[in-house]
Amino acid sequence: MTAISVSRLSRYFRIYQKGAGIRGSIASLFRRKYTTAKAVDDISFSIEEGELVGFIGQNGAGKTTTLKCLSGLMYPTRGEVSVLGYTPFDRKTDFLKQIGLVMGQKNQLWWDLPPMESYLLNKEIYAIPGDRFKKTLGDLVDLMGIADIIGVQVRKLSLGQRMKCELIAQLLHGPRVLFLDEPTIGLDVVMQQRLRDFIRDYNKKTNATIILTSHYMQDVKELCRRVIIIDHGKLAYDGALSDITRAYSDRKILTVVFGKPVEKHVLAKLGEVKLFELPKARILVSRARTNAVAQELLRDFPIEDITIEEPGIEEVVRRIFSSHHA
Amino acid sequence: MRYLKIFLLHFEHVFENRAQSLVWFSMSLSNPILQILFWRGTQGIGGWSYTALTSYYLLIAAAGAFLSSHIEGDVYEYDIKQGELVRYLIRPFPYYWIKLVEEAPYRILQGGFAIIVLACVAVWFGNYLSVPLTPLTLLFGLVSACFAYFLSFTYKMSLGLLAFWLKDIRGLYSFVEILGIVLTGFILPLSLYPHGLREVTLALPFAYMIYYPVLIFQGKLGLAEMLQAVGIQSLYLAVFVVIFTVLWKRGVRQFTAIGQ
Repeated sequence: MTAISVSRLSRYFRIYQKGAGIRGSIASLFRRKYTTAKAVDDISFSIEEGELVGFIGQNGAGKTTTLKCLSGLMYPTRGEVSVLGYTPFDRKTDFLKQIGLVMGQKNQLWWDLPPMESYLLNKEIYAIPGDRFKKTLGDLVDLMGIADIIGVQVRKLSLGQRMKCELIAQLLHGPRVLFLDEPTIGLDVVMQQRLRDFIRDYNKKTNATIILTSHYMQDVKELCRRVIIIDHGKLAYDGALSDITRAYSDRKILTVVFGKPVEKHVLAKLGEVKLFELPKARILVSRARTNAVAQELLRDFPIEDITIEEPGIEEVVRRIFSSHHA
Repeated sequence: MRYLKIFLLHFEHVFENRAQSLVWFSMSLSNPILQILFWRGTQGIGGWSYTALTSYYLLIAAAGAFLSSHIEGDVYEYDIKQGELVRYLIRPFPYYWIKLVEEAPYRILQGGFAIIVLACVAVWFGNYLSVPLTPLTLLFGLVSACFAYFLSFTYKMSLGLLAFWLKDIRGLYSFVEILGIVLTGFILPLSLYPHGLREVTLALPFAYMIYYPVLIFQGKLGLAEMLQAVGIQSLYLAVFVVIFTVLWKRGVRQFTAIGQ
């Protein structure tokens, strides 16, 4: 069943451009110049129920704007959006009861009271029956391991503890669609891993549809089988994470350990030398020439070890962005 | 029941910051105290005895604490300008009502302080406070106070929503605040204003936010006048609700949740 369907979605912003200096200020009194920024420009995709999709893009690429359109926070300029059969920006009560939105480093809990008070408020706002609230809260508190801090003022919690509590607040009503906007931002690596484990478990247990945006590729690599890459408001890639390397990288990496010193300029004739720290070197070569270059290395150089790898996801994503900007 | 529970949870939140509420309330006492001192020694003016005047200023202070909403700053500064509106928009609860539930505890807490002050004055300075309550004036006073609060709240909410279009409205708020002080009767009973200005101020909605409820509690209005006051309050409320609804529907369409 399709949980999210986006068809030709566009969101433009009209931006006032002020001329520099006092002349610009005075001129703006009589005539204002506006430009149109295309935050999201004609993108379409659909997401099945239970999918955990990574939404990747640079700052200002349009991923948060898309997320806002999906969660009903923003009206699109054009296009159609359907989430669980609802038009998000109608913000029907039934729709809002079935979605959750977590924004990294944005506090949605009461600052001066313990998280439990905010949970009780959510219980009433989402009209969660008492027994279901008790069970869900108990499960989430156990999963997150926050039993000892649930009664502590939010202002006295660490960022990691607060993020856990924020996540619980957005999960108490059992959302069928969850939007996670940079949920691991600012957390240390241990806490990032715990949150990832939790998100994965939650997705498996509840079959909730989850869209995750993150600047940390590790989040996406560990959690999402499918990624949607958005760049300058346009859809740059939509497909399996495992296919992205093949689809977008025409190069492979040869990592070589030499038995004797070699000259860098000699290696440069074979491909792009990405690393040269003897006895180790890393060379990027085109996919078509990989075998030939490997044979040449084995034949003409004192090789102790050689491995051939696909480029990392980060490298591929970087290439996608730079190719779109070129 | 659900609304009551939500209200109580918010009250708990406000109660955590009770000291701040006490400070705000104490500041609001400065005007009535100054006015009482100013009128001291007079026999009264324009049909208002000295006791009626001191009672008026004490009741105005209490009414200000109970009924005068200050929600516009929250709506403008935090919700729209800083983008906190996001957390209200994703909840299945109307923005108007959740803001009311957030603000009402402040009014009740500060109103509670006002009741304590009135009680102290009644005990130790009885001649400064005369509130000739009858069951009828109490009933109309309470109904009128409810309308007054909703009127004030809806008006201030609408003012806050202007932030959807205006970049900086602090100047406008200051102007409106001063206008409110003059037009709601904080400075002087509106009936003492000069001819012309008096008629205008008595007809404007501001008078129905504070002044008329105070007059009812002071027993200065007859039954017909009380009915008329409550009727006009309900009309003004309907107008403000329409204004709020239009501003909200149009404003939220262009909300961009910047920084969120």
